[in-house]
Amino acid sequence: MNNYILELVGLHKSFGDIEVLKDFNLNIVEGEKVVIIGPSGSGKSTVLRCVNYLEPIQSGSIFFQRKNMWSKSDLQRLRMNIGMVFQRFNLFPHMTVLENVMEAPVMVKKIARQEASELALSLLERVGLAEKKDSYPKELSGGQQQRVAIARALAMKPKIMLFDEPTSALDPELVEEVLLVMKELAHEGMTMIVVTHEMDFAREVGDRVLFMDKGQIIEEGTPHAIFNLPRQERTISFLRRISHRAFC
Amino acid sequence: MELDYSIVLGKMPLLLEGCLVTLQVSTVALLFGMILGVIGALCRLSNNPILKTAAFFYVWIIRGTPFLVQLFILYFGLPQLGIRLDSMMAGILGLALNTGAYITEIIRSGIQAVDKGQAEAAVSLGMSYGLAMRRIIGPQAVKICIPPLVNQFIMTLKNSSITSLVTITELVRSGDQIISTTFRSFEVYTAVALLYLVLNSIFMVIAGRLEKRTARQ
Repeated sequence: MNNYILELVGLHKSFGDIEVLKDFNLNIVEGEKVVIIGPSGSGKSTVLRCVNYLEPIQSGSIFFQRKNMWSKSDLQRLRMNIGMVFQRFNLFPHMTVLENVMEAPVMVKKIARQEASELALSLLERVGLAEKKDSYPKELSGGQQQRVAIARALAMKPKIMLFDEPTSALDPELVEEVLLVMKELAHEGMTMIVVTHEMDFAREVGDRVLFMDKGQIIEEGTPHAIFNLPRQERTISFLRRISHRAFC
Repeated sequence: MELDYSIVLGKMPLLLEGCLVTLQVSTVALLFGMILGVIGALCRLSNNPILKTAAFFYVWIIRGTPFLVQLFILYFGLPQLGIRLDSMMAGILGLALNTGAYITEIIRSGIQAVDKGQAEAAVSLGMSYGLAMRRIIGPQAVKICIPPLVNQFIMTLKNSSITSLVTITELVRSGDQIISTTFRSFEVYTAVALLYLVLNSIFMVIAGRLEKRTARQ
């Protein structure tokens, strides 16, 4: 008996003729922070999207707390345990910030509005946006929108949080405020899978870093092992390109 | 020949009665057309191949054939198969089926115009397809659909004039009847046109307000 909270076993995923994931395996223990890096098109976002079935897989199994995610009747219930934060925030534009955060607890979990509103407010406070509760998403900056999106996901009290390039759509000066919220979440012990290009974040927060290319894990290890002692040629050249970019 | 609108004014009660029938036929047809349109759009977007195909054929046939012919089939054709509809029934049914097909397409494209990320965010929070549709996709699609729907409502009101040809005494047919006794085609038809314009203008003003209100969010 293992104590994995999430197990991905032999995932295969293709879009038409293009194989995006090839026999992908990943086990995550509770509280672990896994950071996935790699060139664009390597399949790292697809991994996250397969975890909560936004993308159907062709074969393989996904177990959440040893329950098979493939049984469709359980899917909705299982999804509640898996929070997802998107690159483009995907806040609901027709609802205020507070309504965005309250929506799922009220409509899905059937929590009383009063209680949900208190929960939402405390989460907004946690991401530093309580005073924006009555604003509409389009009135917020990208960084603020992403923090609201994190609060919205947390409102379902998930066991795992998935971050799909959460800072890639942000102006550079807004990246830090989002990373700060994520770091706090990590320190509180949340299990996290983060797809990102923020190498400093990976180094600081990650328990394990996976380098992916062409639908496979090329190399994995502690941040120290991956960033300071990479062994695979593809990892080395990717890291060189990334660090080179930082100086130009 | 001098134009003499006093004849039209004298027959105003008849024309207004026709107006009322026009409104009645159009609103009932629109009501059912909206219901058909919502169902049609959901079918076209569903994964069920039978529903999808049925909705596709409905839209294809209605859009590809003239409204007049559709009406004639309902009113003059069906009795041959033993199905007898009175003129009001045939007129309203025909208009509803016709406008419903166009509304299907309007709503389908409205739903598809909502960013895919919205549905993904909704389901990743544990929402079912139905709940996501009702709470997240629907309200955003409605906003997108309002301008083309207003257009379609106006078209339907005007198309209701064609039901005069299956003997519904709506506005145009009321006019025809007045002309048959007064021979004042110009005055009567311009008065009829004016009444259509008034009906549509009232509707456009209401729609404009509605659009402004939803745009605020």
